[in-house]
Amino acid sequence: MSGVNALNIAKDALFSHQTAINLTGTNIANANTEGYTRQRPIFNNLDQSVEIGKIERVYDKFLENQINEQMHHLGYGEAKRDELSRIEMIFNEADGGGINEALNQFWSAWEDLSANPAGQAEKQALVSISQSLTAMFRSYSNEIISIQDNVNAQIPYLVDEVNNHASDIADINTSIIKAGKNAVNETGINSLKDQRANLLSDMARVIDFHYIENSDDSISVFLSNGMPLVEGEQVWELDVVTENHSSNPSFYDVILKDDADKEVINSIINNGSLAGFLGVRDTVAQSYLERLNTIASTLVTQINAQHKLGYDMNKNLGGDFFDSTKTLAKNIEVSSVILSDINKIAVSETVNGDGGNASRLGSIKDELLMDNGHSTINNYYASIVGSIGQDVEDVNRDFDRQTSLMTQLANRKEGVSGVSIDEEMMNLIRFQTGYNAAAKFFSTSDELINTLMNLVN
Amino acid sequence: MVMRISENMKFNTIVESMFKSQDNYNKLSEQVGSLKKLNKPSDDPIGMNKVLNLRESKASIKQYTRNIEGSESWLTITESKLMAVSDILLKAREVAVAQGTGTSSEVTRSSEAATIQQLTDELLSLANTKYGGSYLFSGTKSKDISFSSSIRPSAETGAPDVADENTFDGTVASSGDYTGIANKTYVVKIIDSGVLGAATYQVSSEGGKAGSWSATGTVPANGQISLGEGMNMTFTAGLSDLTSDDIFYLNAKTAGNYNGNGGELTIDIGEGTSFAYSISGEAVFTNKGEGEVDIFNVLNKLKGALENNEPDIIRTCIDEIKSSADQITKNISKCGTKKNRLELAKSNLTDLDMNYTELISNTEDADMAEVITGLAMKEAALQASYATASKIGNLTILDFLR
Repeated sequence: MSGVNALNIAKDALFSHQTAINLTGTNIANANTEGYTRQRPIFNNLDQSVEIGKIERVYDKFLENQINEQMHHLGYGEAKRDELSRIEMIFNEADGGGINEALNQFWSAWEDLSANPAGQAEKQALVSISQSLTAMFRSYSNEIISIQDNVNAQIPYLVDEVNNHASDIADINTSIIKAGKNAVNETGINSLKDQRANLLSDMARVIDFHYIENSDDSISVFLSNGMPLVEGEQVWELDVVTENHSSNPSFYDVILKDDADKEVINSIINNGSLAGFLGVRDTVAQSYLERLNTIASTLVTQINAQHKLGYDMNKNLGGDFFDSTKTLAKNIEVSSVILSDINKIAVSETVNGDGGNASRLGSIKDELLMDNGHSTINNYYASIVGSIGQDVEDVNRDFDRQTSLMTQLANRKEGVSGVSIDEEMMNLIRFQTGYNAAAKFFSTSDELINTLMNLVN
Repeated sequence: MVMRISENMKFNTIVESMFKSQDNYNKLSEQVGSLKKLNKPSDDPIGMNKVLNLRESKASIKQYTRNIEGSESWLTITESKLMAVSDILLKAREVAVAQGTGTSSEVTRSSEAATIQQLTDELLSLANTKYGGSYLFSGTKSKDISFSSSIRPSAETGAPDVADENTFDGTVASSGDYTGIANKTYVVKIIDSGVLGAATYQVSSEGGKAGSWSATGTVPANGQISLGEGMNMTFTAGLSDLTSDDIFYLNAKTAGNYNGNGGELTIDIGEGTSFAYSISGEAVFTNKGEGEVDIFNVLNKLKGALENNEPDIIRTCIDEIKSSADQITKNISKCGTKKNRLELAKSNLTDLDMNYTELISNTEDADMAEVITGLAMKEAALQASYATASKIGNLTILDFLR
């Protein structure tokens, strides 16, 4: 046991505490850095001396997983909520003035015409309300289609985002592997790991996956069916194709870039904003569009069928009232024959110019033509609006729940990994005291050696 | 173990609670602004569905009410015209009573014949009253003048007419004597196109109404088809063949001067409730269909008897005028019954409309008292979170270290 040894111990203690104080500084500096994981020095007893054995990144692996999981839900819910509320805006009839009201006016116009079969004003009114009604169908349908198109346009960007994140993660994996397990600059490695965790959590918002940590500290990311996205340093990119989709050839489908068969993998993307957008485009918006189409085609078929049973002012049998070649919501239109001559409206039930057929046409409103004979055209439309409202309410409630869950998880993560100024101040005082004591020990040892030296002299 | 509270947590928590309070506050102020709790479908999906259906019901009620009001005017006019007819018959009866006695002479009778002619003219003009472009008493042929001034001595088959857009360009003629007991419109519709001998057709004796068509027959090579009730229609080929949906029609009329038919004009006054609001001239003035006395005929007979100085016949006319007046009275009371029915339907609709209005209001209108109270509560919460936020920076150990 030598006095020089004591000096060495004092040196190690000073260095260690200096490192710990520096680390406290790093923590304080990053108190507001998003995704920063606090670090703490692990003091190791080294024989009789001390060293900073490790700079620990304080985090909870299971919590991270849970947060990523929650991110999938949040990304999915957010995408769905935003697009659904756009659809809701199209169908918002709270203040009237939509298809519901136009339908009511349409039926009334037939009744008015039946009361005055020869009335030119009544015929004109019928034709103009029919035109507004069909225009409304077309515009609702076009707005839904444009939402589908907008959503569709975002899909390649999201796929790019996943690819970029995946390749960034692989790059970080490379750096971490290269630095090796016992890296000299542990804070540098820790900040790479922070970055990688941030990338994972960003990517979790877009697509659902699970990941594992490999023994070399790299991570591998897998899609829900187990296909790898990142394996250590290797990336498998996603890609999009068109011309494949059943409802619209311009719709993008997701595939694996290296897949020679270009097999569509939309169905394995179950969560995250990519799944949300795919769902809105292919299921939600599509179903409203189809329901609107059902109304349009029922209207065209039923009105035309009854219209053909009647006679116009010139005793001709009625023709088509709506253009029978255009039975979709996006193209429904009053027949050009009627538009060019309103006297072609088959108002009468007989050749005597009565209003019987107009009255029958007006009564179609009460016929249970929809839902396999359970509801009228108006009921069916009202139920569409109701179900959009229900969908929006559900997705909002779900999103709120997911958000508050996320907040709780984020708080728990902050509780583990976040920086507390109070705590850092206490550490500062602790390490400062340690440093002071080490300095005092150093000078005492120095004095001891001096005393010894003087004895020799 | 005590949970660590990091800096981010402190601030995130307070910011979040501020957002939450603001969101709640905004939702309520939206309701205060619009006075509605239903501002978009997701506010109350089931309520929205209900409101839309109720609005449809209200629109129907509005239409039915309008239909009822139109019919009421029609019936009021009909009633007043029938009253006037009663007066005419009263005068005619006075003439018949006075001239049926022995104290009247050939001179007075022949001068009163002129009075009856005047009354007949007045009757004709009343019977041909038009309302809103339609003849009151033509049945469902409301565009045709109800009664002609000349009287047909026997039934008429009438010349066939064609629809504007018929493809067939040959000629069509009618033949045979009409044996029916009331005025009818016969319609022939071509089913399968073809030359004479190949084309097929259907006949309707009810003006071509759906469901009134006969079985399909083939037009014979000689072009003559039987319409029924003694009448035939004969086609002579032209350049274009008979074509599917070509329409030919003719108006068969019985003897007398009535041109309309026995139908009644109808209007919807409720869901699936069709209401006949017109009274046909057939029932009012003729002895066909529901009618029992041909009033024009009675007046003509009286006029003839006056001109020919036949007191016996004049006296038989008194009874016939009485039956005529009864027929008019019966129809006046029919107008009254119809009006009562409409009145009742209308008051039901008015009640229903009020109920619906209330239901809609309950679903979509905000309860102001509730909303304002809620708003005050949310405001307090918002203020509290602001107050907390303003204090958060003050609490740190830094304040206690020199």
